[in-house]
Amino acid sequence: MSLPSAVPSGDEPAARLGARFGRVSLRDRLAIDERAPVVVASQTWLGQSVIFLVAVLAVSSFEDWWQAALLVGLAMAYARLPNYRNGLLLGGTWTAALLALCLSQNAIQDNIRAMMVVENVHDVSPLALGLLAMAVFFVGAWRVLELSRRDKTLFVARRPMLALLGVEAVLCGLCSLSVIDGLPRVLLWSLLIVFTPYLWFLAYALADQRSRDASPPIFQMGVLRPFWSPTFLPFGKGAAFLRKTFAKSPEELAVTQIKGVKLLLWANVLLLIKIALVWAFQEQLQVPSLEAAQDAFLAGQSHSLPYAWAAVILSTAKFSLQIAFWGHLFIGVARLAGFRLPRSTWRPLGSKTLMEYFNRFHYYFKELLVDFFFVPTFFKMFRSYPRLRLFFATFMAAGVGNAIWHFVRDIDLIATMGIGGALVSFESYAFYCLVLATGLGLSQVRMSMGFKPSLSLAGRLRSFLFVWSFVVCLHIFSDGSRSHSIGERLAFLGSLFGVI
Amino acid sequence: MNVDGKLKLRKFLKEALEKHGDQGELSDSESLFVSGRLDSFSMMQLVMQLEEAFGLDFSTVDFDVSLIDSLDEIAAFVDANASA
Repeated sequence: MSLPSAVPSGDEPAARLGARFGRVSLRDRLAIDERAPVVVASQTWLGQSVIFLVAVLAVSSFEDWWQAALLVGLAMAYARLPNYRNGLLLGGTWTAALLALCLSQNAIQDNIRAMMVVENVHDVSPLALGLLAMAVFFVGAWRVLELSRRDKTLFVARRPMLALLGVEAVLCGLCSLSVIDGLPRVLLWSLLIVFTPYLWFLAYALADQRSRDASPPIFQMGVLRPFWSPTFLPFGKGAAFLRKTFAKSPEELAVTQIKGVKLLLWANVLLLIKIALVWAFQEQLQVPSLEAAQDAFLAGQSHSLPYAWAAVILSTAKFSLQIAFWGHLFIGVARLAGFRLPRSTWRPLGSKTLMEYFNRFHYYFKELLVDFFFVPTFFKMFRSYPRLRLFFATFMAAGVGNAIWHFVRDIDLIATMGIGGALVSFESYAFYCLVLATGLGLSQVRMSMGFKPSLSLAGRLRSFLFVWSFVVCLHIFSDGSRSHSIGERLAFLGSLFGVI
Repeated sequence: MNVDGKLKLRKFLKEALEKHGDQGELSDSESLFVSGRLDSFSMMQLVMQLEEAFGLDFSTVDFDVSLIDSLDEIAAFVDANASA
């Protein structure tokens, strides 16, 4: 019994070769979820205790130990107490959201405080405004889901993504165009800051209302930024996907939980690799950060070519490892709760095409772009021109959708930079999206024309070099610092090839 | 959908699953997309295949993945919407 892979496997020939010569690969040794005695043992109290302890240790690399224990305990309780699932999910998710707002230094309060400074409002606490905004959002989301379930002809039910982006744009406009001042503006800003991280979760929830077998409202509300992934990106997609992927038998649940623990441990291995890379290259060999390398170039004090390249490659590696770490952490905890979710990152180094890289690197981000940008475009546009249709839909997802997602994620910059500043500083990422989308679109069209990458060693090496050269060079434009213009980044890229 | 059509469809889906490293069995009622066995891009490939083979127009349908999530559902969808 194995968890379905969401992305292609490319290692079957090597695995078969190993098996033919009687070698037991490391992958086979680690496949403890395929050994019946381990699966049986994991369902006992002792087995569950071991899973709990190992998982808490693994999650502790990211959270305080008590938060890790609460998170893992909640996930495992959800899996093992079917009668209390809805209550645990709803209570766990929203308690986690409130704790994150109340207990720690957090972005929501910081962002509200930033607007309070701009508007010279000092007589209310950012926490109170955050709590008020969260209460308004909770009631509003519940009501909108209820309405769209009841009346499927409503615009928000038919076009959830457009409706939600419209709300985001209106709130954003009201907060940034100085139409409203003082406390009312701070109140609207608080609502925008609380609403924004839920936008894509709510989009999945609203889309689910249209399905023949819509999820119950409590479940829908419980998976709006569920306790296992309090991020902007819905790891595990929406309620419909989560319900279908839930383990259907005690054996499936046991296998899923073991896979969850393995993924959490793997996340820690990746974190260690990242720490080792930073220690070896940044601290010992003094390889600069990407931003520092660009600053030095612009100041006319360029690093030597190998060091400049090392800065770009190291930055790409750190970013890739961080993305994989986050994804494994969130999916690992979701698997402890019993959701048989595909991994978020799956052997991106083995990608043979750009499209495969996009699929393997950040699966849930790609799925979001496909669900809300690719599919609607694909169904409506250029139906008589298959290649143009495929290219344009891919472009809308990887380009337009990608840009919108990242601009919305950083909406808080409006408080400090204004809407104009936020847009101008986004130019480099917009350029990144344009080039990425063009590359992916062409890759898609090429695949649809029957191109099959070579599986020979030389062919694989060629594919690896092509895909990762593209990714590394493009990374120069995607780093989130927003401190360099496109021209400056292009000049830096040119310098790496000795052009400038 | 006739038997021949269903066989062709099964062959297409099996190939798509194999491309995803999934050598498992495929029953007629088994979930393909919502379960994660196939991803959204495979779904689009399937849509194109269905449009070409059966003259379907997906732009006129209030699309939901559960409409084509299994072999049985695809067959029922084709029977209800095929123009030829």
